[in-house]
Amino acid sequence: MKKAFKIVTNNPLVKETLENEYHIEFVECSYEEILRKVRNYIYEGYELLTHPLSGSVKPNETPYKSIMVSEKKEKLDPRSMEIIEYAIQSCKKFQFKSDKYAPEVYEDFQVVDLKLIESAIPSAIF
Amino acid sequence: MRRLELGHINIKDIQFGPESKIEDGVLYVDEEAVKAIVLEDERIKDCKLDIARPGESVRITPVKDVIEPRVKVEGRGGIFPGVISKVDTVGEGKTYALKGMAVVTAGKIVGFQEGIIDMTGPGAEYTPFSKLNNLVVVCEPVEGIKQHDYEPAVRFAGFRVAVYLGELARELTPDKTEVFETYGVMEGAEKFPGLPRVAYVQMLQSQGLLHDTYVYGVDAKKTLSTIMTPTEIMDGAIVSGNCVSACDKNPTYVHENNGVVHDLFEEHGKTLNFVCHIITNENVYLADKQRSSDWTAKLCRLLDLDGIVLSQEGFGNPDTDLIMNCKKIEAEGVKTVIITDEYAGRDGKSQSLADADVAADAVITGGNANQVIVLPKLDKVIGTLDYVNTIAGGNEHSLREDGTIEVEIQAITGATNETGFGYLSAR
Amino acid sequence: MIKVVHYINQFFAQIGGEEKAHIPAERHDGEVMGPGAAFKAAFKDEAEIISTIVCGDSYFNENLEEAKATILAWVKELNPDVFIAGPAFNAGRYGVACGTICDAVQEELGIPAVTGMYVENPGADMFKNKVYTVPTKNNAAGARDAVKKMAPLALKLAKKEAIGASCQDNYMPNGVRVNFFEEKRGSRRAVDMLLNKLADKPYTTEYPMPAFDRVAPQPAIKDLSKATIALVTSGGIVPKGNPDHIESSNASHYGEYDITGVMDLTEATYETAHGGYDPVYANEDADRVLPVDVLREMEKNGVIGKLHNKFYTTVGNGTAVASAKAFSEEFAQKLIADGVDAVILTST
Repeated sequence: MKKAFKIVTNNPLVKETLENEYHIEFVECSYEEILRKVRNYIYEGYELLTHPLSGSVKPNETPYKSIMVSEKKEKLDPRSMEIIEYAIQSCKKFQFKSDKYAPEVYEDFQVVDLKLIESAIPSAIF
Repeated sequence: MRRLELGHINIKDIQFGPESKIEDGVLYVDEEAVKAIVLEDERIKDCKLDIARPGESVRITPVKDVIEPRVKVEGRGGIFPGVISKVDTVGEGKTYALKGMAVVTAGKIVGFQEGIIDMTGPGAEYTPFSKLNNLVVVCEPVEGIKQHDYEPAVRFAGFRVAVYLGELARELTPDKTEVFETYGVMEGAEKFPGLPRVAYVQMLQSQGLLHDTYVYGVDAKKTLSTIMTPTEIMDGAIVSGNCVSACDKNPTYVHENNGVVHDLFEEHGKTLNFVCHIITNENVYLADKQRSSDWTAKLCRLLDLDGIVLSQEGFGNPDTDLIMNCKKIEAEGVKTVIITDEYAGRDGKSQSLADADVAADAVITGGNANQVIVLPKLDKVIGTLDYVNTIAGGNEHSLREDGTIEVEIQAITGATNETGFGYLSAR
Repeated sequence: MIKVVHYINQFFAQIGGEEKAHIPAERHDGEVMGPGAAFKAAFKDEAEIISTIVCGDSYFNENLEEAKATILAWVKELNPDVFIAGPAFNAGRYGVACGTICDAVQEELGIPAVTGMYVENPGADMFKNKVYTVPTKNNAAGARDAVKKMAPLALKLAKKEAIGASCQDNYMPNGVRVNFFEEKRGSRRAVDMLLNKLADKPYTTEYPMPAFDRVAPQPAIKDLSKATIALVTSGGIVPKGNPDHIESSNASHYGEYDITGVMDLTEATYETAHGGYDPVYANEDADRVLPVDVLREMEKNGVIGKLHNKFYTTVGNGTAVASAKAFSEEFAQKLIADGVDAVILTST
């Protein structure tokens, strides 16, 4: 069963590219703060639909993160809780250097993050 | 019975020459001919060729892919089916491989590019590709091209060059021949009664741009878990489109020479019956993970397997696929050994994986990718050091004034490979 | 020549068994005692034992601070390159003493230390992540093998050489992952491991999954206003004066205290025995850890049926998981027998 979803993101390119078609919740914050925001949603009963550590670009390396959660609250999903907690724990393992890149590199990070979340959309749409 | 003969054409050196040919174990490369093959793609503006030999004071970076040239001499299909050759089932007949060498594609795709191959020094110990004679193809994109257009351009250029070089071996006599025989499900059961039925379950990176793998040309994220004859991968049935996470991505070379396939064949008919190769993916969407892992477990059951080796590719997201596959396959009563790598932090004290389950009680590790290493200044750089400061595992101080580089080994191509290709481990 | 100080208990010093366990620490400069002889042989000419310190196991554990201070002062004066304790095999108090003193020598004096004991010795659980601990057999028959592993590790530490992975330098995995190159590649090791697993032969996983003791939640309470709720804590809240002497760390027991009629825990009546956090706020108002006041209010307002008239308490600071499990299994039975419907478990 496919689910109505929203995308929680701090990636302006995701907002720009997808907001006309999908529900995008854009927040200006860090990668880890996106994970924490999604954790709060999960504890409220929203279901996690994409993996929070999507992509091999490491946390604290890319500043961008987009995660898909269910549009509606359902019942608390223990597996979603487990996955998001592991993901948040993972952040501390990597040296922070998200702010150390040449300006044009951020566009690359944005594109890769966009493509990662876009790869989930065919699986998620009705 | 299906049979593949894999002939080894040993290449002990590569040199540029007026004509491409293999003579007395030396590969002579006509530079202009190879360049013309690369530049067939209008998305590539220019390319430079270079040669890096084991022991030379040479650093190759940023590496995109590593490919072993092969040629199909007998049997159906051609190398890289659905990608370079027409779609046709491969894995039977006769294939020659140029051993001891590789085509390495390098050059910027994105600004956080990674992948270091040092041909000498401490870094060389961490990459399996330092032991090869490498023909390095450094590509440069046309102006204004988008990343998703350029990545396939470089990917295909590498395959075209590899196929061109492989063709040079068609009429040669192999230095050595390995024979791989596989059987139908019933046939194998009759031939090896009493031997445990074993398969290799390989998870393929399939998360999106720069994170993709292709099976007979099909994007792995759009596939259901399926079965292959274990020899198909030797003819290039699986190729890499993955350029992120240098240490634990599987370059095409690793697919062609997959260690688990090779080492299971070594035991095939002796201590186990190597039934088949099962492939599955590592999608971003969680319901896809559920479906794919349900299917691998179901296939393991349908094939009446006793045991499997399960390998991974990448960091984070795939840890979840690894654990889901392991848990479900074990729950079917099929004994499972998993191969992974670790991100335990620079101090080695953090939890290594982003998921865990008690069912994963037999783990092979490729080591802690966060381990810090200092790479000495080498005389020559093929590619560019522009991205060393920004690669995964590097930082703004990575490239030091004295020319040495301090990075985590995750920046080194193949350092912690999760198909068990290398010797690194951790406890 | 590398200088070594060796710590052993009264038994291995051949002073006596349990009847001599109360003897205070003794310092035997220039003497090689008990397993020291085997160490001396293993060191060849590379190192010498300059002093052997002997202490009764009961004495050490019952006079912890004093014993520690005495021994630390001696070790400081002797200034060895490395400190060795044990091996303790399966002797529990001896193992804890070895771990404790090694940890103190490292932390206070900056001198590297190594010990050895059986994996199930409670000292192993407590100290293996702090002190290099060589796994030994569960009795002194394993002495030769233990020394064979402890001696080279001690020499390496003394020489400040890099310590390899646990399987290379023979210590218990200590939570630090160390890379090294294996002789066989990963795929071959995977096939070998699978063959062992298929044949039900022993094999050792290269990465033990973090162990989680998963507890299935009980069904929710239907009507809280009729439920009896008990308080349990690992935060060390005890009646003032700590009448049952619950240890400030590595607790060996728990306490059961009656709070019939107690409406509020005050500075005059309750305190914490816990040695692992700043006790000021808990001592000022123990309700902060064990919320008796809030539950009394809920009881009064009918939110809960009633607060159980006993609470159970221990100190979670370094207490072995096995001990904690044993405590709770015991008092859980009492709680069930007393008709308690639910427990609020507080930690710190």
